[in-house]
Amino acid sequence: MTYRPIPSTAPFSEEDITLLNRVIAPSSPIQRAWLAGFLAGLDAQAGGGAQAAQPARASKTSEPLTILFATESGNAEKLAADAAKAARKKGFKPNIVDMADLTPEDLTKAKKLLVIAATWGEGDPPSRVVHTYEMLMGDTAPRVDGLQFSVLSLGDTAYVDFCAIGRNIDERLEALGGTRVADRVDCDLDFAAPAAGWIESTLEIIAPAQTADAGHVIEVDFGARQAVVPDAPAELEVVDHINLNSSRSDKETIHLALGFEDEMAYEPGDALDIYPLNEPALAEEILNATGHAGNDVLRDELIRDRDITTLSVKTLEKFAAAIGDKDVQALIAGGHARDWIAGRQLIDLVTAHPVKLSVEQIFDITRPLAPRAYSIASSRKEFEDEVHVLVAAVRYETHGRQRMGVTSSYIADRLKKGASVRAKLKPNKHFRLPEPDRDVIMIGPGTGVAPFRAFVQERRAIAASGRNWLFFGDRQFTHDFLYQLEWQEALADGSLARMDVAFSRDAPQKVYVQDRMWHRRTDLVDWLEGGAKFYVCGDAKNMARDVRATLVKAFADVKALSAENAEAAVRALEAEKRYLQDVY
Amino acid sequence: MTEKLARNEYLKEASRYLRGTLAEGLANDVTGEISEDDQQLVKFHGMYLQDERDLRAERTRKKLEKAFSFMIRVRIPGGVTTPQQWLAMDEIGRIYANGTLRLTTRETFQFHGVIKSNAKAAIQRLDSVLLDTIAACGDVNRNVLSASNPHQSGTHQAAYELAKNISDHLLPRTGAYREIWLDGEKIAGGEETAEVIEPIYGHTYLPRKFKTVVAVPPQNDVDIYAHDLGFIAILGEDGQLQGWNVTVGGGMGMTHGNTETFPRTANVLGFCKPDDALKFAEAVLTTQRDWGDRTNRAHARVKYTVETRGVDAWREEVGKRAGVPFEPARPFSFTGTGDRFGWTEGEDGRSHLTLFIQNGRIKDVPGGAQMMTGLRRIAEIHDGEFRMTSNQNVIVANVSPEKRAQIEQLVAEHGLTSEASAIRRNAMACVALPTCGLALAESERYLPSLITLFEERLNALGLGEEEIIVRMTGCPNGCARPYLAEIGFVGTGPGRYNLYLGAAFNGERLSKLYLKDVTEEEALEALQPLFEDFAANRQSGEHFSDFVIRQGYVAATTNGPDFHVNTGPQRLAAAQ
Ligand code: SRM
Ligand SMILES: Cc1cc2nc3c(=O)[nH]c(=O)nc-3n(C[C@H](O)[C@H](O)[C@H](O)COP(=O)(O)OP(=O)(O)OC[C@H]3O[C@@H](n4cnc5c(N)ncnc54)[C@H](O)[C@@H]3O)c2cc1C
Ligand SMILES: Cc1cc2nc3c(=O)[nH]c(=O)nc-3n(C[C@H](O)[C@H](O)[C@H](O)COP(=O)(O)O)c2cc1C
Ligand code: SF4
Repeated sequence: MTYRPIPSTAPFSEEDITLLNRVIAPSSPIQRAWLAGFLAGLDAQAGGGAQAAQPARASKTSEPLTILFATESGNAEKLAADAAKAARKKGFKPNIVDMADLTPEDLTKAKKLLVIAATWGEGDPPSRVVHTYEMLMGDTAPRVDGLQFSVLSLGDTAYVDFCAIGRNIDERLEALGGTRVADRVDCDLDFAAPAAGWIESTLEIIAPAQTADAGHVIEVDFGARQAVVPDAPAELEVVDHINLNSSRSDKETIHLALGFEDEMAYEPGDALDIYPLNEPALAEEILNATGHAGNDVLRDELIRDRDITTLSVKTLEKFAAAIGDKDVQALIAGGHARDWIAGRQLIDLVTAHPVKLSVEQIFDITRPLAPRAYSIASSRKEFEDEVHVLVAAVRYETHGRQRMGVTSSYIADRLKKGASVRAKLKPNKHFRLPEPDRDVIMIGPGTGVAPFRAFVQERRAIAASGRNWLFFGDRQFTHDFLYQLEWQEALADGSLARMDVAFSRDAPQKVYVQDRMWHRRTDLVDWLEGGAKFYVCGDAKNMARDVRATLVKAFADVKALSAENAEAAVRALEAEKRYLQDVY
Repeated sequence: MTEKLARNEYLKEASRYLRGTLAEGLANDVTGEISEDDQQLVKFHGMYLQDERDLRAERTRKKLEKAFSFMIRVRIPGGVTTPQQWLAMDEIGRIYANGTLRLTTRETFQFHGVIKSNAKAAIQRLDSVLLDTIAACGDVNRNVLSASNPHQSGTHQAAYELAKNISDHLLPRTGAYREIWLDGEKIAGGEETAEVIEPIYGHTYLPRKFKTVVAVPPQNDVDIYAHDLGFIAILGEDGQLQGWNVTVGGGMGMTHGNTETFPRTANVLGFCKPDDALKFAEAVLTTQRDWGDRTNRAHARVKYTVETRGVDAWREEVGKRAGVPFEPARPFSFTGTGDRFGWTEGEDGRSHLTLFIQNGRIKDVPGGAQMMTGLRRIAEIHDGEFRMTSNQNVIVANVSPEKRAQIEQLVAEHGLTSEASAIRRNAMACVALPTCGLALAESERYLPSLITLFEERLNALGLGEEEIIVRMTGCPNGCARPYLAEIGFVGTGPGRYNLYLGAAFNGERLSKLYLKDVTEEEALEALQPLFEDFAANRQSGEHFSDFVIRQGYVAATTNGPDFHVNTGPQRLAAAQ
C-alpha cells in the first residue's frame, strides 16, 4: 500500500487524485511548501490581484472550516470550490467534503461548517448523498453542539418542494445543537449572484479572529465576485437532426449532432447545457394578455431571456402584489395557491387575469430562462468536432392546453440542420469510464442510453479490453429501438459484449430493464464481483429506484444473502463508486 | 449427386428435420430478423419473415433495421374452427398481431405483424385451443381445403373428414415444432433414421409446396383445378357418397417473361373408393417426392412433373403405390366457384350464414363496420362452428334455431353483411403490399376502389347484377388464382397490371393475357367496349368469359402449355 497524501474525498476526479498523489507522495517538504505558496498566490490573483500569501504563516494562523456540498449535477460542488477559495483568503484552512463521503466523525470534529445542498427529484436529496442524508436525519446522527453553521440551498421554484433539502439540513443541524451563524439562502436556478453574496457575508461573520492581523491574510474585494456571470455559452451549428422513432411511434426522440469550431473538451459522461428559445406563439400570447401586443423588443427578450412557462407560488404572489388582483390574493390567502398552479403555467395566470403589466412587472414575475442539460451521446475520439445529444420531446396536456417542453420542443420542432444553438459544456466528473481493462455494466432505458453511446464509442476507439454490457429499454421494439443499427454493429465488432433489451408495449405483460436484469442476475452479480462498474442513466422517478432494488434482490438471490446483507453489498458498491447514477 | 440440386435441398438436408438454428435465432432479441437459412426453414413451421414495406424508406436514416415481423398462417383442415378457437384467433390478432385477421384463399387465418419476441406466445396460445401452424407453408402438404358451403350436410361432412384425415396423415412428424415453439423436450434429431422420423417425407421432404383440396359438385368453391392434388365427391342417385375422382397437376404460379413457367389446370386421374382415398393421397405425394424436379424450384411443382412424365405414367405409378388401380373417372359437373351468401338451411334443420369479408381482411374500421368485434361477439354466443371459405369469406355454420335471431342482431349491430354488388362479392385480391415481399403492385388495398369503378360502368349498362369474377394479385404467383378469373389483374409494377380474360366461370378453363402493363384508365378504357358488346349481344345465361371468347376478343386457353400462346387482343389483330 503506497502512501496517498491526497484523500479520495478531495474535490478531484479519481484520475486527478491518482495524478496528484503520484507527484505529491514522493515530494520533499520544501517542494510542498513552495507548491502551497504558489497555489495560494494563484487564488490571490484570481481573487483580485492582492499579493501572494506567505504560506508558512498563513497556514500557522488559519483555522479549519468544513465546506460540505450535496450535489447531483455539480452546481453545489462548484460553489463549494468558490467558497473554499474565498475562505482561504479570509485565513481559513477550508476542507471540502462531498456529503456522499461524510462520516459522523467529520461532523463532530467540525467547528465551523458551510453547507451547500441541492434538492432533486420531488424534494429528494441528490442520489449520491441519500444514505448520508438518512444518517443525518436519523437517530444515529451525532450531536453537533457548538458547531457554527450556515446553509446555502440550490433549487428550482418550479418544484413544489423548493430547496427542501437545504431547508431540512438547516433545521436538522440546529436541532442537533448547532448554531446558525447566518440565515439560510435559497437559490433558484439563477443562483450565481445570491450564492456569491451568501459566501461573502457568511465568511465575514464567521471569519477567524486573527483576520484583524492584516499581515497574515489576504484582503479580497468580493465586489467582482458579486456580479458573477456564468461564462457565456458557445454558438454551435446543427449538423444533424433526426427523429430516431419510427413514423408509427407515439414518441419523438431527436438525435441532435452539433458541430463546434473552437475546442470543446468534453468527455464521455459529461452533459451539455442547451439554451432554448421560447415558442414565439407563446410569447405573443403573453404580450397580448399583458397589453404589449406588437412590442417586438420585449417579444424577443421574452423568447430568448425569460422563463415564460414556469408558474410558482412565488410568481403568483408577485403577480398578486403587482396588480392587487383580489381573486389571486384570495387564492393565496386561502392557501389554494399550490393546488391552483399544479399543471398550470404563466400563460394560464395572465389569460385568466388579463391586465396591463409594466415591462418591469413582467420581468419581476418571470425569472431568467435557464438552460437544460443533456447527456452527451458521442465521443470525441469518434466525432472530433461534434457533440451529440439525444432529446425526448416533452408534450402533454393539462387544463385543456397542449403543453410543450421549452427546450425539447425547441430542439424537436424549431431546430433544423444548419441552425445555430447556444450551448455550454456541463462536466460531470462523477460519471466517468473506469480503467480500460475494467468491465462496465450500463443501464440506460430511453434517453438514458445517451451517455452509453459515448462510452461505447470511447472504449471502441481506445480498444479497451474491459467488456461492455448494455441494458436498453423503451416502448416498442419496432418503433422505439434507439440507435438499433449502431448497437448491432457494436455487438458485431465486440465493443459491446452483451446487450439486453426490454420493451414495455409489445406484449400484454410489460417488460422493463429491471426485469431483464433479474433474468440475468447470475451473470450480473458475477460481473460485479469481477470488479465491473455499474452505471444507471435516465428516469429518476421510478427506473433508478427499481433498478437499485432489483440489484439488491439479485445479490440476495444469487449469493443467498439476507436482505440487509444484500443491501450492504450494493452500498459497498456505491461507497467504492462502482455504482454510479446520472438520473433526471 | 450428379446434378446440382436447388439450394433449399441442401438446406433441408442439413436442417436436422427442420430445426436449423431457429432456437438460437429466436433468442437473439436485438434484431427482429432470423438467418436466411432459417427464413426458409421457418416456412415449414407456418411462418414467413416479412418487413413492413411502407416503412422501408425511413428506417436506415433513423438508425433502425427493417421493420421485421412474422406472417403466421394457421393450419385448419377444411377451414373449420370452433367458436372457442375463433376467440383465440381474435385475441392473438389483437394482442400479438396488427389488430386484424386475414382470411386466406385457402380457408385459413393469417396473422400479420407478429414480431419475433411475440411469435412463441402466439403459437402457444394457438396450441391452447389445439391449433398449430406446422406445414401451413413449406415444401410439404399444406392446409387441406374442403368444400365449405355446407348445405348438403352429409357429403360436406364426408369431404371435411377426408380433408382432415389427409392433413393429419401427411403431416411432418419431426419434433422440431414442439421443441422450438412449445418448449417440448428435445428429441435429438438425426440419430434415428429418416424412416422412423419422417416415414412419408424422408429427410428432404418434398421438392416444393404441395396443395390438396376436396370438392363437392356442383360447387367448385375450392377451385379444384388450381391444386396439386384434388378429390371430387361422386354421389349416387341416392345422394350417397360413392367415392372420389382424383385430380393432379393444378397450379397458378408463373414468372413474368418466363414461358417455361405457367399456370395449369389439374387432370382427372380416375376414381377411387372412400376407403382408399388416403392411400391415393399418400401415393400421389410420394410419387411427387421421388419424381419431382429438385434441381429447379421454378419447375418443381406437381404440374411440371405431370407435364414431363405424362398423365398416364402418373395414373399407373400412383395406382401401383396405392396398391389399388384407379377405376375410370365418374362423371361430374361444376357450376361455379363462388360462395352462396346469406342464410342457407342445412339438411339437419340447422342453418348457415355466409358473410362477405372484402378480401378476407377482418378488422374494425374506425367509424365503419366493426367486423372484428362483431365476429368476436358472435363467437361468444355461437353454438355451431365457423368455416372459412376459399373465397376469403366466412360462414357462421350450424346455427341452432334458438341462436339465429341473436346472430342476425349482432350482424346488423356491427355492420357485418352478406350484401355486396355481384361483381364485388365475386372478387378476390391477394395480400400484396405492404407485407408481401414479392409484391410488384398493390392488390388488397387497391382492388376495392377499382371494383367501385367497375360497378359504375356495369350499372350504367344494366349489368349491375351480372356475376363476373374479378381477381387481382400483386405479382404473377397467383395467390388469388387470377388466371381462373373472368377478368384477372396481375401486377407488373407500381400501378401497372397485366390484364387476363376468358377463364371459365366454373374454374375449368384458364384465362389468356389480353393487355400488358396497363394502368387503371387503360384497363377501364379497354374493357368498356367489351362490356357494351356483352350488354347488347350476350346469349341468355352466357358468362362474360365465354362471351369474350365467342366474340373472338381473346383466344381460349386449353391448358398450361398454351397459356402463353395467341396472347393479346385477337379481334383488333384480325381487324387490321
Ligand atoms: C395469403 C395468401 C393470399 C390471400 O390473399 O389469401 C397467399 C400469400 C402469399 N403467398 Fe401464395 N398465398 C395464398 C394462396 C396461394 C395460391 C392459391 C391457392 O393455393 O389456391 C397460390 C396459387 C396456387 C399455386 O400454388 O400455384 C399461391 C401461390 C404462391 C406462390 C407461387 C407458387 C408456385 O409454385 O408458383 C408463391 C411464391 C413461391 O412459392 O415461391 C406464394 C407466396 C406467398 C407469400 C407467402 C409470399 C412469400 O413467399 O413471401 C404470400 C404472403 C403474403 C402476405 O403478406 O400474407 N404463393 N398462393 C394465400 C394463403 C393461402 C393459405 O392459406 O395457405
Ligand atoms: C444531468 C441531466 C441530464 C439530462 N439528460 C437528458 C438527455 O440526455 N435527454 C433528454 O431528453 N433529457 C435529459 N435531461 C432532461 C432535460 O434536461 C430536460 O429536463 C427535459 O428535456 C425537459 O426540458 P424542457 O425544457 O423540454 O421541458 P420544460 O419546459 O422544462 O418542462 C418540463 C416540466 O414539464 C412538466 N411536465 C413534463 N411532463 C409532464 C406531464 N406529462 N404532465 C404534467 N407535467 C409535465 C414537469 O414539471 C417538468 O419538469 C437531463 C437532465 C439532467 C439534469
Ligand atoms: C430532475 C430534477 C429534479 C429537481 N427537483 C427539484 C426539487 O424537487 N426541488 C428544488 O428546489 N429543485 C429541484 N431541482 C433543481 C436543482 O436543485 C437545481 O438544478 C440545482 O441547481 C442542482 O444543483 P446540483 O448541480 O448541485 O445538483 C431539480 C432539478 C432536476 C434536473
Ligand atoms: S400473389 Fe404475389 S403479391 Fe400477391 S400475395 Fe402472392 S406473392 Fe404476394
